[in-house]
Amino acid sequence: MRQRLGVDLAATFNLVGGLVKYLSLAPLVPAAVATGYGESPAPFLLATAIGFFCGWTMERLSYGKKQVGMREGFLVVSLTWLFAAMIGALPYWLTAEVQFASPVDSYFEAMSGFTTTGATIVTDIEGLPHGLAMWRQLTQWLGGMGIIVLALAVLPRLRVGGRQLLETELPGPEIEEMTLRIRETAQRLWLLYIALTALMVAVLSVIAWTGLDATMSFYEAVAHALTTLPTGGFSTRARSLEEFGAASQWAIAFFMVVAGVNFALMYRAFFRRQPRVFVRDEEFRLYLTLLGLGSAVLVVELWSEGVLRGEAAIRHSVVNAVSLMTTTGYASADFNEWPLLAAIVLVALMFVGGSAGSTGGSVKVVRHLLLGRILTRELDQAVHPEVVSRIHLNGRPVDERIVRAISSFVLLYVGVFAVGTLLLIIDAARVDSGLRLLDAVAAAATTLGNVGPAFGFAGPMGSFEPFSDFSKIVMIVLMWVGRLEIIPVAVLLTRSYWRV
Amino acid sequence: MKIVVIGAGQVGSTVVEALHNEHDVTVVDLDEQRLSALAERYDAGVIVGNGASRRTLEEAGVRNAGLLIACTSRDEINIIAAIFSKKIAPATKTVVRTTNEEYLEIWHERELDFDLIVSSERETALAVSGLIGVPAARQTDVFADGQVQIVEFDVDGGQRVIGVPLREAEIPPDSKVASIIRGDSIVVPRGEEKIELGDRIIVIGSPEAAQAWSTIIAPAGRRVEDVVIYGAGRTGLATARVLAEQGIKVRIVEPSLERARTAAEELPDARVFQASGMDAEFIERENINKAQAAVFAMRDDAKNHYAATLVKLHGVPYTIAIVHDAHSVEVFERVGIDRAVNPRMITAEEIVRFAHDPRTQQVTMLEGNRFEILDITVRPESKLLGTPFRDLPRTGALIGAIVRESEAVFPHGDDVLLPGDRVIVFTESKRVSIVEQAL
Repeated sequence: MRQRLGVDLAATFNLVGGLVKYLSLAPLVPAAVATGYGESPAPFLLATAIGFFCGWTMERLSYGKKQVGMREGFLVVSLTWLFAAMIGALPYWLTAEVQFASPVDSYFEAMSGFTTTGATIVTDIEGLPHGLAMWRQLTQWLGGMGIIVLALAVLPRLRVGGRQLLETELPGPEIEEMTLRIRETAQRLWLLYIALTALMVAVLSVIAWTGLDATMSFYEAVAHALTTLPTGGFSTRARSLEEFGAASQWAIAFFMVVAGVNFALMYRAFFRRQPRVFVRDEEFRLYLTLLGLGSAVLVVELWSEGVLRGEAAIRHSVVNAVSLMTTTGYASADFNEWPLLAAIVLVALMFVGGSAGSTGGSVKVVRHLLLGRILTRELDQAVHPEVVSRIHLNGRPVDERIVRAISSFVLLYVGVFAVGTLLLIIDAARVDSGLRLLDAVAAAATTLGNVGPAFGFAGPMGSFEPFSDFSKIVMIVLMWVGRLEIIPVAVLLTRSYWRV
Repeated sequence: MKIVVIGAGQVGSTVVEALHNEHDVTVVDLDEQRLSALAERYDAGVIVGNGASRRTLEEAGVRNAGLLIACTSRDEINIIAAIFSKKIAPATKTVVRTTNEEYLEIWHERELDFDLIVSSERETALAVSGLIGVPAARQTDVFADGQVQIVEFDVDGGQRVIGVPLREAEIPPDSKVASIIRGDSIVVPRGEEKIELGDRIIVIGSPEAAQAWSTIIAPAGRRVEDVVIYGAGRTGLATARVLAEQGIKVRIVEPSLERARTAAEELPDARVFQASGMDAEFIERENINKAQAAVFAMRDDAKNHYAATLVKLHGVPYTIAIVHDAHSVEVFERVGIDRAVNPRMITAEEIVRFAHDPRTQQVTMLEGNRFEILDITVRPESKLLGTPFRDLPRTGALIGAIVRESEAVFPHGDDVLLPGDRVIVFTESKRVSIVEQAL
């Protein structure tokens, strides 16, 4: 049987086992937090033990070659994320917490964490013990820059062949060839990620200590930094950012914008002292333009409809537009109650996403930019059949393979979104949950784009708990394929992948 | 001075022709027939051999030479010859001809230890862009960082200047008529001389004056903003790049898909068509005929000729062909293509400029090799210093402009030459050495 497969399953499971083994050490952090707050660390220690044992067994039962090939890479990444969410789910499920009684709910929460979605099934977040609350935040932080990228950066001898694993997990199309060694790239990305997280903790702590915002504290600062830079969106509060002061909200909005910027670009600007890369980068310029445009439309809409006025109108427009476009998913106000036009703008922003190479999800700004150019070119060639033109980005020609990949990605994205919406709406009719069409659209878009909140009962202040188990599983799959940008999972469904 | 020339092709023989009277020239080439043809016409030593061989270079006398000119059609041979020359005799200056602009860039970065690198493509592109900038010009060149322009016009219009004595004609300020060519005779213009229809005139002046002359002689010629280039080879691409840098809208027609793709890749602002461009339907549909000028940079002179004629027939007012055969320039201009540019000729000019008197910074050849324009610094002991211009001896040479402290001055009768002045001089080629001695 094994002879007929074109994929080396043994090597795949061997590598996945190794990754699971190391990842199972992560719950030790919330174990420490729990101990510190006088809570029981048992569920976390148990999760580590189970995870480590499973990983170790998987590694032992399979015999790996020294390297996995490109083909196995897709399977390794896809499986690793499924297993990661399982490890993530263990602490939830193992606690006595009633909100996590169902294994589907636990798995949903863990997948939402690692994929940095931020959709939650919890209804009473403040009721969660500190250890568990911190675990939610930590899963997002680990998932933001990528579990495998982290492994590549810190593990001494991870048997990985080529850069394909890294590229599969990093968000956005790889337009510029990475010139550094994989390990070095991974280390630099994580270094910058850690530095920015630390900076954000510092900024929010200063806001807390100077008394600018009484609600903010060091604990909240750490918790929100851990979920802002990965564009995650889990909060320690059921009403998200609403309870925080204006200063904190502006600061968090700023860091959300930062998190949606290409990390390689920021690395060059800060560590190589080339700030001009920002001015020259076409994606960055469009990213800021779209953020500004989205916020402006909301300000005008909210102000003219009399929902909000003055600084509050501007702040809530900017914070929520930034939050949804960068796919973070915080909310500073219940936009569920905003007029329809505002809701439509917010759903549209969910499809924009962050920049390539950022921690943001969804389609990504650069794909929109290039798709615009691709369509312009197609229309031009319809009129002028002899015209030969290359798509350029930042003055450099883009490889035609990437051009094709972008068109098919967007097509796949829209297709998966449509199927997801359809399944949710059918299921809603089956169980009669009162889900409106816009709510279903928003729920599919928010999970596939790794955003977080939807509309209706799953709105920014609500919870995904009322969805049926089937709908939750649909959304778990959407979050998973959305984080991996569809293609790695989609190839697993083709016959040519498995054939020799 | 002893000069060794590697390569006796078009560039080599043009260089030899310009230099053999004043210098001791030795030519190296593999082709014995070419060499003997050259030796028959000019007073030059010839050696049959490979220019990239050290023994041949020694034999040619590189050790005692003041200058080595490597101008074969092959870049690698030229570069190796120059490297060997630098090893054998570090004091010998080296000039290298290249077809690859990359070498030019590397040289500008001072990574190649040669005294001059000349790229045919780049020089041709600059020549074409000069012609497009002054549409009525037959030929044009700039001096002193672009402050002085020299232009050759065919007079086929311009009521303001025709038939009027020059001193009464309203000629643009900061310009002088250096020469009037009427049939086979040359008129050195004095104040009472008149320009006639059908004359060919040479004007020296500021770039603004050159453009003003262009509008006088060809009133319809407005600024060119839309150019079509046939052929995306190296010369075509170099020309497109230079034109695009000037903000001119460039369209490229190239039959090979691969080369069309390269063009689209390298020139984001150009519009590239993968087509032969030889059928009327395409020319009309894509409005090729609405372009203000067309440049033909294909490899085959005959194809350039046909395409230029076709495009002209469909209404493009100004056509420039880049020709490769030595005699094509005359053929093309005779049959109605507006201008023909020969890259090898242009390359040779650039090399000759360098080979002249070390004080001479730049030379342009006009009318074949009949005239030269020199850019030369006046010696402190020159007898001409301090004499007002109106009292200077009339020798058939004309000082068109003075570059004084990096600023161009267009002299009048009362001006005098000062020590340290650079002058732009127009003269017959056979009088170059006399002019150089006088200054």
